[in-house]
Amino acid sequence: MSRRTRALSASLSTSLALALLAACSTQGGDERGPDKRQPGVATGTVIGGTPKRGGTLTVLSNQDFAHLDPARNWVMPTMDFGTRLIYRTLTTFRAAPGKKGSEIVPDLATDLGRSSDGGRTWTFTLKPGLVYEDGTPIRARDIKYNVERSFAPDLAGGPDYAQRYLAGTEGYAGPLDGEHLDSIRTPDDRTIVFSLRRPVAEFSYTVTLPTFSPVPESREKGVQYDLRPFSSGPYRIESYARGKKLVLGRNPHWDAASDPVRKAYPDRIVVIQGLKGGQIDDRIIESAGADASAVEWSDLQPSSVAKVLPKPEIRQRLSAERTGCTDMLALNTSRAPFDDPKLRQAMQYAVDKEAQVTANGGPALNDVATAYLPPSLTGGRPADPVHDGPATGDVTKAEKLLAEAGKADGFDTTITVSTGDKTRAEALQQSLDRVGIRLRIETVDPSVYYDTIGDTANAPDMAISGWCPDYPSAATFLPFVFDGRTIKPKGNQGNVSQFRDKAVEKRMDEIAAMPDATAANEAWTALDQEIQRTSPAIPLLWERKPLLVGDNIAGAFGHPSWTGQFDFAVIGLKDPSRTRG
Amino acid sequence: MIAYLVRRLLGVAGVLLAICAVTFVIFYLLPADPASAACGKTCSPERLAEVRHFMGLDQPVWRQFGDYLVGIFAGRELGSGPHALQCGFPCLGYSYENALPVWDLLMDRLPVSVSLAFGAAGLWLVLGLSAGVTAALRKGGLLDRTLMVGAVATASLPVYFTAVMLLYGLVRLTGLLPYPAYVPLTDDPVAWAVNLLLPWIALALLYAAMYARQSRSSMIETMAQPYIRTARAKGLPARTVVVKHGLRSAMMPVLTLFGMDLGALLAGAVITESIFGIPGVGRLFYDALQRSDQPVVLGVTLLAAFFIVAANVVIDLLYAAVDPRVRN
Repeated sequence: MSRRTRALSASLSTSLALALLAACSTQGGDERGPDKRQPGVATGTVIGGTPKRGGTLTVLSNQDFAHLDPARNWVMPTMDFGTRLIYRTLTTFRAAPGKKGSEIVPDLATDLGRSSDGGRTWTFTLKPGLVYEDGTPIRARDIKYNVERSFAPDLAGGPDYAQRYLAGTEGYAGPLDGEHLDSIRTPDDRTIVFSLRRPVAEFSYTVTLPTFSPVPESREKGVQYDLRPFSSGPYRIESYARGKKLVLGRNPHWDAASDPVRKAYPDRIVVIQGLKGGQIDDRIIESAGADASAVEWSDLQPSSVAKVLPKPEIRQRLSAERTGCTDMLALNTSRAPFDDPKLRQAMQYAVDKEAQVTANGGPALNDVATAYLPPSLTGGRPADPVHDGPATGDVTKAEKLLAEAGKADGFDTTITVSTGDKTRAEALQQSLDRVGIRLRIETVDPSVYYDTIGDTANAPDMAISGWCPDYPSAATFLPFVFDGRTIKPKGNQGNVSQFRDKAVEKRMDEIAAMPDATAANEAWTALDQEIQRTSPAIPLLWERKPLLVGDNIAGAFGHPSWTGQFDFAVIGLKDPSRTRG
Repeated sequence: MIAYLVRRLLGVAGVLLAICAVTFVIFYLLPADPASAACGKTCSPERLAEVRHFMGLDQPVWRQFGDYLVGIFAGRELGSGPHALQCGFPCLGYSYENALPVWDLLMDRLPVSVSLAFGAAGLWLVLGLSAGVTAALRKGGLLDRTLMVGAVATASLPVYFTAVMLLYGLVRLTGLLPYPAYVPLTDDPVAWAVNLLLPWIALALLYAAMYARQSRSSMIETMAQPYIRTARAKGLPARTVVVKHGLRSAMMPVLTLFGMDLGALLAGAVITESIFGIPGVGRLFYDALQRSDQPVVLGVTLLAAFFIVAANVVIDLLYAAVDPRVRN
């Protein structure tokens, strides 16, 4: 999913960590019971109760949307925003907190799709009477058209599942030249049939992505469609000044009866962009005037958390769900020293993960990660760790493995981090120093961080990276992070470790072809452990997403499938009259 | 005078071309790859090659630079066939991240930066000059020392500190002003001024201190000139001596400085705009850096260079107009 730029304030993170340090273990998260470490409202709690219809919801943001064009929208929370408010998809996630939110329900389609041919063919039927914002009908071929658009090189950057899954797409470069895919058929206006190159058991989940929303060919504007996507959802764009402000108004043709998920409580939604993160926090903490009806787009700053947690009346407006992402220390396996699996295993024991928790905002906002796959992909609880031991590391074991690798005296190595992660790198430096590993830290500006570590020829020995699944399937995780065939010379962003293992790749192909989703999930979990044994990366943290709302907000909760972001389908206001005048 | 003007304008064109070339090469050498950023994190090598071709990044750097220069004067079409994007004169490139020509983005943000720059400039001129002239006329006195110590103290405060303190004091603590949110002058002049007041003050405090010191030393130097003594000896009123003979002459170096500062500020005050959430050219630049949006970074760099060079030309022309020796 989205790449995540790190810019946490190091010193503030540390002070926050100290303030929050509880006498509890932070080993691995578990969703089975109430979580005492959760800093905001408990999972399953809807902040503010049920909203009332009307009023203006304000979203305060420090940034512009990456892309609103559904063919290009692949960054959180823009993906959540787009698919919940502006365009609908064939299926979508239930608008509910907790585990229920990971369930999918039909959206434009009448059901979750019907598979045949052993999972290679998927058929969806559209609900009758669906229309766009101008009242014209939504047709199956419009969905086909948008999927085809995602192949166009000028509309790059969106989810690439259509390229991965659809049959007969080699050399296809989108519909703008008048060419269309044979692997998507639309025998009538309400039926769409996808022919896949291999069985895909979770294709019902795949079509939750914005790629599978309708775009009428008559509205095609190429790159500039990004500025004004045509609405099939409950809101349409009234105005959009890039980097400044987006205003959504009601789509008068949206039919609530056809849409069991979106409640569309506010009359208008205004996104104010380009604000400074800390000011957004302060404004929402104060909740004065229009800010009482505002939510924040990006995470609460570490420096602001201390202003929230000690005050129960503000704390009850804080959502801090798990992101469902895993934060890792990627070891460059393409060259020495980390081309030696034994050294990589030594790293598993040398790293002090508790120190990483402290350096990244403390136990309230982080759990120690014990596997690559986050708990949301392994049945709600962490997978059994392969390298067991205390989260602070096991110096004795690390030294033994180093000696076996012929590096009893340690070795010199480097890490490149963005400036915001320097404290974390220093914590890592201290923990590695315990076993004689001498770490040199290089910092780069966040704006070029991913380009720097993605330049494979000049990549550092180590880098901090992360991955978020696109939907609750490990198929959207492990192949992106550990499949050697995805490595590219420049801009290499998924497989930062440059891990190449033919056996692992073969197993990935086998699991991907499994028609039974449950069996596939178990196989992915087993493969996670298999990869851990060769340790191309060290799982470090499972983070939370702290988001604050104004005191007039209702219906807010961090959605498990949207990396803990608010579910814009059901958020609204307690008292809409407070936003008038 | 015309020959002088032509020489200066040719010089300006040369400077801008050199800046353009240097900036272009620097961006070409940076590790950031705009095609890779646009393509997404799971982009295959084949798709990356297609995206690079679409963006024209597969061409040699000299060719890209040539196309860029042609576009500035004649506009150009990016891509071909149904994929083609029109980038009209003056085409400073196309932002694929924003789906807009760079020129359009700059023109959208420029009024914001102009509002910020002129408001702040007016404020710092009034504060700086009045403090500087007052100190000069009370040279060595308590007021002089107080003003200059204050100027040194203010000038030593970085703008990000001043800005944060102003926000805390005038917004959070006392609630005297709202959190800044840019309102166009044409929409609501009062709201425009109220919302820009904090960034104006933050910038003005920084610059006013420098202007106070500069104008003080310039004024002291001028007031020691023989023609001032002559003016006084002729029995002219003190006010006339100070304002008409002293201030006018002392302000020349200050105005030179002012032209440069205003020119630089017009292309965006990155820190101030970012801290106060003002969507000007500086903020556009900052966001473009975050997103590896090189056409925008290049466009803002050229705009900044243009304003600084243009300010220099205006000042030079003014000098030339009043002093014929400069033309030679």
